[in-house]
Amino acid sequence: MNYYLRKAAFYLAALWAAVTLNFVIPRMLPGNPVDILMAKLQQRGGTVDPAARKAYETLLGTGGDGSVVQEYLSYLGNLLRGELGVSVSAFPAKVSDVIADSLPWTIVLVGLSTLLSFLLGVGLGALVGWKRGTWLDSLVPATTVLSAVPYFWLALILVALLSTSLGWFPLNGGYDVVLDPGWDGEFLGSAIYHGILPALTIVISSIGGWLLGMRNMMVSAMSEDYVLTARAKGLKNSRIMIRYAARNAVLPSVAGFAISLGFVVSGSIVTELVFSYPGIGSKLLQAVQNNDYALMQGIFLVITIAVLGANLAVDLLYGLIDARTRDRSAVS
Amino acid sequence: MTWSPKLGAGLGLAALIVLFGLFGPLVTGDPATIRDIGLTPPGGEHLLGTTVTGQDILAQLAHATRGSLWIGLLVGVMATLLSGVFGIFGAYAGGAVDEVFSVFSNVMLVIPGLPLVIVIAGFVPPDQRGTGTISLVLALTGWAAAARVLRAQTLSLRNRDYVAAARVSGEKTWRVICVEILPNLLPILASQFVFAVVLAILSEAGLSFLGLGAANSSTLGTMLYYAQNGFALQREAWWWFVPPGLIIALFGGALALVNFSIDEIINPRLRDKARRRRDVVAVEAEVAPVEQDAVLTVRNLNVVYQATTPVHAVKDVSLTLRRGEILGLAGESGCGKTTLAYAINRLHRPPAEVTSGSVTFDDVDVLALGPEELREFRWVRLSMVFQGAMNSLNPVTPIRAQLQDVLRTHRPEMSAPDRELRCAEVLRLVGVDPARLGSHPHELSGGMRQRVMIAMALLLDPQVMIMDEPTTALDVLVQREILNEIKRLRDELRFAVVFITHDLPLLLELSDRIAVMRDGEVVEYATAEDMYLRPQHPYTRQLLASFPSLTGDAGALIT
Repeated sequence: MNYYLRKAAFYLAALWAAVTLNFVIPRMLPGNPVDILMAKLQQRGGTVDPAARKAYETLLGTGGDGSVVQEYLSYLGNLLRGELGVSVSAFPAKVSDVIADSLPWTIVLVGLSTLLSFLLGVGLGALVGWKRGTWLDSLVPATTVLSAVPYFWLALILVALLSTSLGWFPLNGGYDVVLDPGWDGEFLGSAIYHGILPALTIVISSIGGWLLGMRNMMVSAMSEDYVLTARAKGLKNSRIMIRYAARNAVLPSVAGFAISLGFVVSGSIVTELVFSYPGIGSKLLQAVQNNDYALMQGIFLVITIAVLGANLAVDLLYGLIDARTRDRSAVS
Repeated sequence: MTWSPKLGAGLGLAALIVLFGLFGPLVTGDPATIRDIGLTPPGGEHLLGTTVTGQDILAQLAHATRGSLWIGLLVGVMATLLSGVFGIFGAYAGGAVDEVFSVFSNVMLVIPGLPLVIVIAGFVPPDQRGTGTISLVLALTGWAAAARVLRAQTLSLRNRDYVAAARVSGEKTWRVICVEILPNLLPILASQFVFAVVLAILSEAGLSFLGLGAANSSTLGTMLYYAQNGFALQREAWWWFVPPGLIIALFGGALALVNFSIDEIINPRLRDKARRRRDVVAVEAEVAPVEQDAVLTVRNLNVVYQATTPVHAVKDVSLTLRRGEILGLAGESGCGKTTLAYAINRLHRPPAEVTSGSVTFDDVDVLALGPEELREFRWVRLSMVFQGAMNSLNPVTPIRAQLQDVLRTHRPEMSAPDRELRCAEVLRLVGVDPARLGSHPHELSGGMRQRVMIAMALLLDPQVMIMDEPTTALDVLVQREILNEIKRLRDELRFAVVFITHDLPLLLELSDRIAVMRDGEVVEYATAEDMYLRPQHPYTRQLLASFPSLTGDAGALIT
């Protein structure tokens, strides 16, 4: 089968698994989420009409009448129409609106800092591997210890040092609250200023993994025959390092992107809490604390889709940078 | 296994933390005791100070460490078991089982773990959220990455000869897995276990920090949760929130160091120190009188591998290569012929060192060249075709880029169209369609790859080409074609060749003169004719006798 078709099929399967998991979890676990939700809704002055109850039952299961298959089908139908229900914690806002408001913050913050961390980690890893036996070797254990630090704890320390004590950065938030969100310079500047510390947290915590992986592959690649050929060809060292050794060594790092991205996303959810960042991680926690099951599920789905999308993009890129992958799967 | 300082430090630190978690709670007293002294900085009665309700932090830390380690261990064991089932068993069973298991692992891998755990924890009412439940959920979401690693390793193991032998001899599946495969996977299993433990402790800390951890449990994460909710940060009570995180970081760091050492056991390339030492020591200034018409003169060359017991790989070798001559270098594998060839171009890798002797190229003292001069010398004057052309080409870039590289570096003044023309020209010289310039190495046959290597070696019209077993991996027909090609090109372009092989009869056909090497020494050095008709050294005679084809139609190889 074609490489791209195979990849597309896999991601469809993964998407289906995530959607189904989302459907099954509330039905499998103890407790009656629908009743809790209805009670909450009432407290907030929401109308407890049968239609609202029906919507929640489709999402979370009833334990009553109606077959599971039917519920599953209408659940899928609702998803396709983008109907994720009504949020209780942000009543009367719809779940999809809550997500739409917070998602851009997270995508920009986590996306940019992951990219930065990947580039820095892979670049440094290549250099450390190439210059093996020099003082650069000590970067490896140092960054690995950093990546064993819990994200949120590092965030706490950074806030304590750089915000509370030194006052260099704001304590929390995604922008200065006196400003109105919009595309003007003042607001963007404030958003960037508020984003520096969360981004720094993510970069510091995740760079070690990239660096170590790249460095180890670099060391392996350097003893390959094609690097010897390149040296015999009298190429400049920088060219051998980048075009021959690093070009090959980076492949596993790209292929292993999925594993690392999962860590980063998980870490940044908790990081958002520390900074009260207006992203999707904070919203997820808000949902959990308020038993806002509809919002919880919506956010889990969106996070999963985003991670799947990022992985799909990386896989497609992998097909481009390693021609062997495309041809191999064409044979099998 | 070597006892590295990394492993020692890692194990030591991890052991200290484990001991603290095991025995700390016995000596520190009740962590929950409330005193009306409020937030107290470290010192005196409370070594690490107290929380806002006057609870002793050291006591809390000891209990929390125990709680976190316990969850780490629990999850580590469960996740390793799961990854073993899906990774090892799937890969061993093969076929549809492997396909399904592998897709399942990959799906679990791309679904982000912590958000899933948070959602699950959110649905379970707090009073039913025990340590067991949380551990199970963490294990269920944390095994997939390890399964993928184990699968890849098992796949390569199950095709090894001894495993195949055990299968053929009718051993039961579980026996083959337990006896033949598991022991070889142990280092990887260990490293994945360590990884799972760290990941579990980190994830649990995250969950508890969010207030979603196991009910009534005391872990480092819950400590941080209370510190955060007690506004430890705002009150600048660093002694409250720094120690729990520090323990996690130190434990994670210690296990990472252990993992380093395991990595070095799995992958020997990471182990040996590749300190870039001098590749040449004690170069003799006396440049030997160069023979008339000689292009390459090697005098009394010695190469030593400076290992714990130094290996003298090339002993006092002297050779002369005349213009346009083909010099054969024969000998069994391990006799030092490849080391010699690399040393001529100073491509030998540490710990190999040229300890004495001289290599003179025309009037250039090769061993005395500085790094930049050496770089400019390589390929322009002397190019190489390596053993195993399969791996000599960069697998991820097209042929064009690898040929143009040479021109870009050594002929920077050349225009892009001229470079393209030159690359096509050399490909045509070796009988490869220039349309192949856009191909990747894996799209070419072995013979074609070797031709591309020869074309690459021709790019700059070098005076000398060193060919190290260029045809060994090819089948006989292709081998003959390529040898004919080399002879023809030599006649047309008048470069000299050092041709290295274990195949003495082949050299008799191809070469003008032949050197036979044994244990690093040249034992016989004569013209091909003399060597065939009047072999002097017993070893040469033995080599000749070991090829029965020679008594028959000796002239058949090169036509």
